[in-house]
Amino acid sequence: MNTVANNLSAGLFTATELTRKKLLTQKIVGIIFGLMVLLILIPLILLVGNLVIKAWPSLTWDFLTDVPKSGMRAGGIWPAFIGTFYLVVFSLLASAPIGILAGIYLNEYAGNNWFTRVVNLAVVNLAGVPSIVHSLFGVGAFVIFAGLGKSVLAASLTIAIMTLPVIIVATKEALSAVPMSFRVACWNVGASKWQTIRTIVLPNSISGILTGVILEVCRAAGETAPIMFTGAVFFKHVQRGDLFPYHPGEQCMALSYHLHTISTQVPGVPEPMLYATAVVLLGFVLVFNSFAVVLRVYMRNRKKW
Amino acid sequence: MSLIRAWSSYKLAEVCIIAATCLTLTGCGGSEKKTATPEKVVIATSGSDTMVNLAQMWAEEYQKVNPAVTVEVAGGGSGVGIRDLIQGVITIANTSREMESAEREQAKQKTGKEPVEFVVAYDALAIYANMKNPIDTITMDDLAGIYGENGPIEKWSQLGIDMKAIEANDEIVRISRQNSSGTYAYFREHVLNKKDFKMGSKDMSGSKDVVELVTKTAGAIGYSGMGYHTDHVKFVKVAAKKGEPGYEPSLDNVLSKKYPLARSLLMFTLGQPDTTTKAYIDWILSPAGQEIVKKSGYVPVANVKK
Repeated sequence: MNTVANNLSAGLFTATELTRKKLLTQKIVGIIFGLMVLLILIPLILLVGNLVIKAWPSLTWDFLTDVPKSGMRAGGIWPAFIGTFYLVVFSLLASAPIGILAGIYLNEYAGNNWFTRVVNLAVVNLAGVPSIVHSLFGVGAFVIFAGLGKSVLAASLTIAIMTLPVIIVATKEALSAVPMSFRVACWNVGASKWQTIRTIVLPNSISGILTGVILEVCRAAGETAPIMFTGAVFFKHVQRGDLFPYHPGEQCMALSYHLHTISTQVPGVPEPMLYATAVVLLGFVLVFNSFAVVLRVYMRNRKKW
Repeated sequence: MSLIRAWSSYKLAEVCIIAATCLTLTGCGGSEKKTATPEKVVIATSGSDTMVNLAQMWAEEYQKVNPAVTVEVAGGGSGVGIRDLIQGVITIANTSREMESAEREQAKQKTGKEPVEFVVAYDALAIYANMKNPIDTITMDDLAGIYGENGPIEKWSQLGIDMKAIEANDEIVRISRQNSSGTYAYFREHVLNKKDFKMGSKDMSGSKDVVELVTKTAGAIGYSGMGYHTDHVKFVKVAAKKGEPGYEPSLDNVLSKKYPLARSLLMFTLGQPDTTTKAYIDWILSPAGQEIVKKSGYVPVANVKK
């Protein structure tokens, strides 16, 4: 009786030795995990900060919309910027339908048999193939065999092939996040498989699918390897600010390759220009990615579970 | 209710996709319309890394002379240019070396056309050394001794250079090029007499990379086009034989053929070039085009006024 009263007067709890130890461990673990987050933030901040500070003198609107001048040592990067945009759009057009439809088939239609397992295994393995190997495949398949020559089309298709496996995986994941009960309920009111997919499964997973597609294609757009043998050129003149400078059958300049060439092959490029090109490439990917994030948030708000 | 909302969100996505598709389709349509007009012509070129900046300057300037012609410039090395030409994916190959007879044969077999050669500029293959390095002149034999297989020269002291004075390693850091480079092929043919390179050199994939690494490394020696010279690196004079005077790679020494490592920069087309391409090459050989050669640090072809 007494002890209970003592306990009450000292507050409801008196931490025992054991509890204190647990609390301490909890604190330490929390701090360690937090430090890890800081650790990954520091390089990011340093990287972006360093880039922007060094690029600052060159970062103007003119830099983006002007063409390279004086042997690419002055002027802007418009041909490379619009070239990358072309590559992204064309590879999206090629990879999104194929990847999404294949993903739907694998998740919704395919039975669990040896064929599906082989395809899934192939997709996962394909995702692990280095980009330079995809590039060589692109040279063989699109540039030479399909007769596209080195062109925007060949380069976009190479990027598309490179991104396909990841798009398929992203689609499958988004689809399998839709609860099975949704489908079952739909079937039970007499809807066919396709009706269920069209009206229930896709609307509930489209945000995930699109986000995956856009993120992946943008990442690929930042790569140099898949385009350097299939359609990227050192220099090509286009009009300042021209929105349609490239025919799909021609080669184009691209930001990632441009960054590579002006930093390794052109002597005397002012340093701020190099950094500004890197910032624009980074910004390009970030803008497209945030578009995907906005799309996702917008659609998630309409989700019902 | 929820089904309707779900449908509308799906609808929205669908509209997005269709809109995007339409936009891009009209986009292609627009660009196709543009190229469909007969005036716009594209001349695709690729090849030598030594020439890539020169080719870029030509392309940039030619746009002002003839806005209807767009010149594409790609690098990769002389070997890449020749391969692209044989495969028929480009119009002009820029090379810093002659086309081998095997390559000519291959081009004839694959395309049925004889490659036609144009000498568009001269270049001196310059030997670069670090600013701190006291070396002044090097002979062709010494170069072969440094770079060639079984070559006996490994240390600067063997050339009578005292690296202790500048507190650098006595070891010679050999900087070379990747094997698709025309500069590599030229060096192998003219300095090493077609023998192989010694293992253990640092092989860079760009002309500029070689000069940059020499700038940063005290004990380094490297070879690259004379157009890549900067104020932070020095030319080593080259003497044909021991006892003969060494010459710097300069405009006069190249034209008078005193400099032993001078070479032609070439353009190749498959068969005689068509009118547009011919006009471009003619412009390159004109005083205006050759002025750019001089500005880029190379030597204009002799038949044009200096």
